[in-house]
Amino acid sequence: MLELLSYGFIQRALLASLLIGLVCAVIGVFAVLRGMTFIGAGTAHSAFAGVTFAFWIGFPPFLMALVFGLSTVWITSYVQEKGKMKPDVPIGVFYTFTMALAIFFIGLMKTSRPEVFGYLFGSILSVTQSELIVIFALSVVILFIVGLFFKEFHFISFDQDMAEASGIPAKKLSFLLLNLISLAVVIALKSVGAMLVFALLVIPAAAAQQWATNMRSMMITSAIIGVASSWMGVLLSYWFDVPSGATIVMFSAGVFLFSVLFSGRQRMGQTS
Amino acid sequence: MTPHPIIRFSNATFSYKGHTALEGVTLDVHEGEFVGVIGPNGSGKTTLLKGLLGLIYPSAGSLQIFDCACEALRCEHRARIGYLPQKERTDPNYPITIWEVAMMGRYGAIGLLKRPKRQDREIVLESLEAVGMVSLKDHPFGQLSGGQQQRVLIARALSQRPDILLLDEPTTGIDATTQKRLSDLICRLHQQYKLTIVFVTHDINMISPIAETLIVLNNRLHAKGRPSEILTKEILSPVYGEEVIVAKRDQKPYIIVHDTHDHA
Repeated sequence: MLELLSYGFIQRALLASLLIGLVCAVIGVFAVLRGMTFIGAGTAHSAFAGVTFAFWIGFPPFLMALVFGLSTVWITSYVQEKGKMKPDVPIGVFYTFTMALAIFFIGLMKTSRPEVFGYLFGSILSVTQSELIVIFALSVVILFIVGLFFKEFHFISFDQDMAEASGIPAKKLSFLLLNLISLAVVIALKSVGAMLVFALLVIPAAAAQQWATNMRSMMITSAIIGVASSWMGVLLSYWFDVPSGATIVMFSAGVFLFSVLFSGRQRMGQTS
Repeated sequence: MTPHPIIRFSNATFSYKGHTALEGVTLDVHEGEFVGVIGPNGSGKTTLLKGLLGLIYPSAGSLQIFDCACEALRCEHRARIGYLPQKERTDPNYPITIWEVAMMGRYGAIGLLKRPKRQDREIVLESLEAVGMVSLKDHPFGQLSGGQQQRVLIARALSQRPDILLLDEPTTGIDATTQKRLSDLICRLHQQYKLTIVFVTHDINMISPIAETLIVLNNRLHAKGRPSEILTKEILSPVYGEEVIVAKRDQKPYIIVHDTHDHA
């Protein structure tokens, strides 16, 4: 094990998975409680389209993933507001449109670029030093903003109308939260892959909800499950030479199933 | 001396997507007044509350709250308006305690980027005491019965230290005994905290003994007065139809209307 930790790529993978697991699990709590998880899937596919566009025109993939990911939030929010529709409708349209864009850009590439598919299926063991620095910086930004607005995010997750009526700028904070969800997805894209990053956002938080009785305990449990799943994914991926993204998701799904079966939540009665 | 109007509608009209929900309302609510708002389905009761909450603005006319146009209400004004929403039961698995729900009432006053202080915790404790829920403060909110959840939501509104308390059908969907306890609690809080109360309900017989003033909506202000003046066939029939029955029970008016409740 100690020998394993001496490898630079394992150190980077463990650090990246710690940050990604933590950030997605923390943001995922609000996404799950607010019923906003679908934006995670929409952003992931849009960010992947950004990556393919970047490979096509020779731009840094991370930058384009960021631009496309955040654009998803802005455009779908605008369309939702303008068209007075439920959020899952514009996200659903954007989700498929950006996936079509990704296929389109891959088709336009003159030469085959197999590394593109790394972003689709994830490869945490190939995270570079510069990518790790970006992941670290954005993770700090996301966690710092969550810390600043924790009580407001908590309030709007519980009851947005009431928060707005109490004088909290709920709509603006809700938009900020969407951007943070999008950002979390983008930083996890290369490690877990566009197909599976949605799971990292949803599963730890959903499993934690089975055990938690208050916001703090849900947040802590979600973070533990997120980080533990990510680390297990890295280690199992290295030991058994299996895909890291899939391993992370399968492990966290196992924790979710265990939580549903054994948390005792279903046996809890109602106070009369 | 007449108390100061804390809420003033001046020929106010509220519309959604070109459809007028409430038209030409002129109405003063004075400090410390207990106003019951009644009317059939779709008569604009909830629209009136949304206007008071600043969730919608008048498309014509004006609405002033605390001598301030509702469009210009700032966070500190809104924090002085407590609101008990018409609420479905919370997801039993939602991870929030009674204490956390009641503390949310302080968030508007605390402001962004700040944490609750000792004074905020004392106010929340006092609010929970006022509704008799302090002993369960660490209990999950979602596990409470409908009546208990309403008590906690009243505590949340009280934690705002409001001047105005808006109630939207708070007694809907709970049993008669709990309804009576809740309306008694609201009366006691009205007197204890000198609150201005606007209580929207479809239940005329519940509101008429406790409200000082009743207003009847029918997409406009149909009538306003003391319950004894309002609860007559002449006033209620144009709104509820000819089948409205005004009877007496225990020497008090008892109204039977054909009305099913919705969220209009």
